[in-house]
Amino acid sequence: MKAVLIDDEISNLENLQTLLEKHCPQVTITTTAQSISDAVDAIKKHLPDLVFLDIQMGEKTGFDVLKLLPSRNFEVIFVTAYDQYGIQAVKFAALDYLLKPIDIEELINAVNKAEYKLTTQIQNSQLDFLLQQLKRPETNITKIALQMQSEIRYVSLSEIIRCEADNTYTHFFLSSDEKILVSKSLKEYADLLRSNGFLRTHRSHLVNPKYVKSWLKEDGGVLLLISGEKIPISKPNKDTVKQALQQL
Amino acid sequence: MKKIIFAFLSFIITLSTVNAQKGINFPHGYAAGEKLLMSVDSAAKNVYYAIKFPNQPNTSFNYLPEVDHVSIQIYFRKKDSVKHYRYTILADDEPIVVNKPINKEQLKDVIRKDHEWKDEVLDSTTLGVFPIKDKTITTLVYSIEKPLDIDKSVFYGKPIPKAKIEVLAKRFATDKGVDYNHIVNPKERIDLTLTEKDDELTIVKVRSAIDYLYYTSIKDKQTNKIIFKSTAWQYGGYVNEAHKLSPYVDIDKSIFKKSGDYEIIIQPLIRWDRSDNSYYFKHDISPQDIEKYTARYTLAITLEEENYTKKELFMYTFIVALSLGLAFLVILYFSKKRNRKKLAEKEQQKNTAKLKLNSIRSQLNPHFLFNALSGIQNLINKNEIDNANKYLSKFARLTRNVLDDKELISLSQEKTLLDDYLQMEQLRFGFKYEIKCSKNLDLDNIEIPSMLLQPFVENAVKHGISQKATDGEIMITFIKQANDLVLKVTDNGNGFDTGKKNNGLGLQLSDSRIALLNSIYKENRFTLAIQSTPTGTKINLTLTDWL
Repeated sequence: MKAVLIDDEISNLENLQTLLEKHCPQVTITTTAQSISDAVDAIKKHLPDLVFLDIQMGEKTGFDVLKLLPSRNFEVIFVTAYDQYGIQAVKFAALDYLLKPIDIEELINAVNKAEYKLTTQIQNSQLDFLLQQLKRPETNITKIALQMQSEIRYVSLSEIIRCEADNTYTHFFLSSDEKILVSKSLKEYADLLRSNGFLRTHRSHLVNPKYVKSWLKEDGGVLLLISGEKIPISKPNKDTVKQALQQL
Repeated sequence: MKKIIFAFLSFIITLSTVNAQKGINFPHGYAAGEKLLMSVDSAAKNVYYAIKFPNQPNTSFNYLPEVDHVSIQIYFRKKDSVKHYRYTILADDEPIVVNKPINKEQLKDVIRKDHEWKDEVLDSTTLGVFPIKDKTITTLVYSIEKPLDIDKSVFYGKPIPKAKIEVLAKRFATDKGVDYNHIVNPKERIDLTLTEKDDELTIVKVRSAIDYLYYTSIKDKQTNKIIFKSTAWQYGGYVNEAHKLSPYVDIDKSIFKKSGDYEIIIQPLIRWDRSDNSYYFKHDISPQDIEKYTARYTLAITLEEENYTKKELFMYTFIVALSLGLAFLVILYFSKKRNRKKLAEKEQQKNTAKLKLNSIRSQLNPHFLFNALSGIQNLINKNEIDNANKYLSKFARLTRNVLDDKELISLSQEKTLLDDYLQMEQLRFGFKYEIKCSKNLDLDNIEIPSMLLQPFVENAVKHGISQKATDGEIMITFIKQANDLVLKVTDNGNGFDTGKKNNGLGLQLSDSRIALLNSIYKENRFTLAIQSTPTGTKINLTLTDWL
């Protein structure tokens, strides 16, 4: 895999380079770039398979690099020190990211995933989706990318009735009666969708309040959904769920 | 006791005798006064009976509305001397029979079948059957052995009239004694002003044959309480047009405590007397029926001087004293509270200022922190172990200082801190820097608020020279200027627009920090001067009278 590394700090570039050489032999580093314009030129010139992209670059962001490219036929692994907003958008787009200082295991995983996507030639539309989402203010995110075994699904948040944990996997139940299995834990989605009003009623249940019909008192609290399903509410979550529902 | 019971006794026996009355259907018999029993015809719906009247001993009154005929029997115990008894019967004041002895030949034996009377045999005869509709029959019975003990029984077949006030009189004091004001034939509402001189009211009733039946009460309409009641009438003071004495009651002025509406109520006493063994008496007269016979006058009293009882006076004084005391306490409470609030507010302001300062202070840019860590990771990966150690301890010192919420640190400590910080940044961006201090500054003993310069230095790195890499230069100087401490940060970066507010978190925070510091250290003023040109930025922070 040909890779381009983009970061405005030389030590970060050096570091990533060292780690890749040591732990990811399948990656060939073609070049590195420390500014937006250098990065755009490098990608246009070398047509890499994989781009390591720093999010915060001085006054600008790594997203600006993506915006300036006419085509984006490569996988991206974002790298960031601390950037809440950027990370949130990246998560909604189900794209991979690494946090500095870099964890070697996470690096290997991300590279493997990118390699898998490249070999299976899954259409990479997530970057387009990400750039679209970035145009909106953070609270207005309405869609989420769900990484399935062989495809990426973009689902409206209003379509999601509920999510249920299945070990490290999560089932999404959609209003179209469809059920989608995603290989990420419910915890990650609970954190991601909390600001959109989703309720963690239980260790293994996340519910879209839009689809809640009523609160049943049986068994110390159960949510009845419009679909007729009953979702348990665990004791520690009772108060927060009740408050959230009252505010609707 | 026996006497009263005797008055009641007869009617059970009567049931056997009534049938003997020819031509009239007498379904019931009732006691009708001493030794007398009456039977009334079937037209009777109800019979009202009373034997207790004030100042009228030996009187019984039978009110018989809707009765056509009444039969009156007399009873004697065997030991009574029947021959001594005389009776008089009047129909509407006209004598029918006068002082007539009992015809012994007409006496019949009747048996009183009753556990109390133990089948006693009594003598009985009928005094007669009388039409009673719209009439009054009065019987007078006495023994010639006691001619003053006359038992009077009244059988009243007319409607009982409502009482009427003839005169309402007000007595007042004069030089010679007393005099009266009269209201003759008063209307239903009487306005009356009572002055200090007035002392008594008199109600004079229109005289009737049955005055003893009526009693007078006065109700306070505000409290709905009866404040006066009299069952007796006096005769002698007033003479009516027919030269007869009119009944009256005297009422002391003192019962009227306050101005307002009172009600004079004159109503008849008729009702069934209770008797335990007589279920016949269950019909008491209903309040609605009573109202038919009740006269009501409204008395609107105006008191020129309100009368207060001692209790009321005490109450009012107490209430006034209490409310004054309460008002005083409330005022005291609130003024104390306000003072306390003011103090608390001041204290709180200072506290919140300190808290805010702390929270601002600890906002060392996380972006810097993690990038610094990444820089150290790079040193490790490049096997520059000594350098890695050096920077790791600098990093630790820096974060420790952020975590410590020390208010003040010495200038030398601040110098070390900035040194550490700049070296970490140097690792990220290669630039030059220098920290200079005036020689006459006691670095170890002069203290300044911690992390005071860090945001400005961070800003110099970020906006000033990070793009210039190795050509960048930062100069920090601590200067003593008379009693002021001047802290300077200069860089040769591209500069920024000082008018713009969004020049990064660091500078914004500094503005609010300066404001907060000024609110905490009131004696010393903190002034911030920023000069920014495309060739460099100068920041001057002056702590007046700090040294």
